[in-house]
Amino acid sequence: MSEVSGDWATPHAKANLSRRRRSELLLKGAGFGAISVAFLMLFILLSSLISTGWQAFTQTHVAVDFVVSADLVKPEKIEGGNYRVIVKEAMAAAVPGAAGPGAEGLKPKELTGILSDAAQFRLRDLVVADPGLIGQTVTMVVPVSDPYDQLNKGLIDRATPEANRRLSDAQIAAFDVLVAEGRVTKPFNWAILGNADSRFPELAGLRGALVGSFYALLTCFVLAFPIGIGAAIYLEEFAPKNRTSDFIEININNLAAVPSVVFGLLALAVFLGWFGMPRSAPFVGGLTLALMTLPTIIIATRGALKAVPPSIREAALGVGASKQQVVIHHVLPLAMPGVMTGAIIGLARALGEAAPLLLIGMNAFITEAASTPFDAATSLPTQILIWADSTERGFVSRTSAAVLVLLGFLLIMNAIAIFLRSKYERRW
Amino acid sequence: MNDMSRTESALDTQTNKITARGVQVHYGANHALRDVNVDILDKTVTAFIGPSGCGKSTFLRCLNRMNDTITGCRVSGEIKMDGRDIYDARIDPVQLRAKVGMVFQKPNPFPKSIYENVAYGPKIHGLTTNKAEMDEIVEKSLRRAALWNEAKDRLDSPGTGLSGGQQQRLCIARAIATSPEVLLMDEPCSALDPIATAQIEELIDELRSQFSVVIVTHSMQQAARVSQKTAFFHLGNLVEYDATATIFSNPKDPRTESYITGRIG
Repeated sequence: MSEVSGDWATPHAKANLSRRRRSELLLKGAGFGAISVAFLMLFILLSSLISTGWQAFTQTHVAVDFVVSADLVKPEKIEGGNYRVIVKEAMAAAVPGAAGPGAEGLKPKELTGILSDAAQFRLRDLVVADPGLIGQTVTMVVPVSDPYDQLNKGLIDRATPEANRRLSDAQIAAFDVLVAEGRVTKPFNWAILGNADSRFPELAGLRGALVGSFYALLTCFVLAFPIGIGAAIYLEEFAPKNRTSDFIEININNLAAVPSVVFGLLALAVFLGWFGMPRSAPFVGGLTLALMTLPTIIIATRGALKAVPPSIREAALGVGASKQQVVIHHVLPLAMPGVMTGAIIGLARALGEAAPLLLIGMNAFITEAASTPFDAATSLPTQILIWADSTERGFVSRTSAAVLVLLGFLLIMNAIAIFLRSKYERRW
Repeated sequence: MNDMSRTESALDTQTNKITARGVQVHYGANHALRDVNVDILDKTVTAFIGPSGCGKSTFLRCLNRMNDTITGCRVSGEIKMDGRDIYDARIDPVQLRAKVGMVFQKPNPFPKSIYENVAYGPKIHGLTTNKAEMDEIVEKSLRRAALWNEAKDRLDSPGTGLSGGQQQRLCIARAIATSPEVLLMDEPCSALDPIATAQIEELIDELRSQFSVVIVTHSMQQAARVSQKTAFFHLGNLVEYDATATIFSNPKDPRTESYITGRIG
């Protein structure tokens, strides 16, 4: 025995061992380093998105008392009332000329500029809905326009020289009067989810994009899911293995790697050019995304079908099931979790895809959510591009917020995929 | 061994169930089975023995045309069951497999309930649409597979939750639920412990009263215990086919003798 332990301690064995340990340590270190870098990147991305995006989830509002006088709004012509003047008078009353030091020189137009453009229309809608308000004083909470929102959120530095600031000292003073009176609040910005797009950041929302993405994904799923599964079943279970099926298989794999913008060009040429389908329609977007998702679903389904153990097929064949019965009764149900996972991951990819939708015009400026899949709409990723391109400061945080909303949906879809896989997957 | 004499005397009165003449099997370029001639008797247990890769499982799978599902596999020669060529173009393998049941090496119950496992064959072959009749078929099959007492209170629980030996008996119940005439068993006990093996062997002996049973086995003791006729395969050839007692006590071919005495294989 002493000889054996001597063997273990020879210089050669020791050197060999320490070399092996060193390389193992190196491999572990490299792996840990790679994961750390990946997490760091993710952390930087998310923290920058959240630090700029969180501001967009609140919106500064101000409570104003509007005097709806019968002189300005005639009961027989409520829609045609002069609401602009009502708003002007209300603001003049809220910030009396002499009230704030420095606010004296403010023109009435500048005063109404504190409020969002939407104020007069909201007031009109309110009065139209309830004509009894004529002759009364209505207190309404309206969003402030973007510069004042920025000011209230601390994004405009009061220390900056007046010439370099978007708001003059007088404008800031007027807003401070409203703050001092306790009229200013900063509630959750429901507009960002409930409104469609707008030129004004304080009114812009993702509703149009959400509806557009929903219709596009629905179209994509309805088309790509059954066609993809059908193609995969045929290729995997029924197609003869020969040159033709090899050729088809190679091309499906190639299609999965084709850049998405190419599918957009194809859709532009075929769907819009030849078939004359409507531009900017989520239905056409869905068709395009279906083309893109199809190979992914086929590949995922084939993988899931392949993973079903041959013993189950043999068992079913052995009791005299036909090929179709083997597939429908046994193989497909067992492959379904894998199929669903693949489909959801394919759809998640489609949800985040902007390039093909740009080419069919889903990056238009559309201020109303689509009511059918054939109306013009944007999608979440194209809406992000539109906002990122906009010059108003308020869109900076809204772009980040839209990215966060998109990431949220992707996260939910991936969570569903993981849940389905872990719940229904069977192991042998 | 005292029942051996009884079975031997019974052999002569039995009729051929399956006759195979000049059966050749190719897997692509590989000639897996050469010129096999066998008569498989009705209501008899026939064992196929031989070293791994000798073609015994291949031949077994010819008998219910399971080889059809393997790409590149070609079967030639003639296999007749009750005088009808089972490779005739007019015979659908789906119908054949209802008449020739199969039990596989590894227990492979469907990941469904015990009841559904047994009822699946009768259901797809349309043997009954009546729930009460189906219940009866399931009970009868499970009883014959000696699983009824263990399974009757958990018919709705998954078949994959049973122990290995129980799963194999469930597979036997599934195979006999379509009332086949021949039962093929491909090393049915190789994944089982000795106790489960003993139960299956007992079962095989009982099943012999209704079916012709063909069993592939690596265990010569098992072949000697359960079968009345034994065929010895070697390198794709059927070397010797005779009564089990003759094969094990007085083999004619030197290769058979070498194999059963443990010198080859």
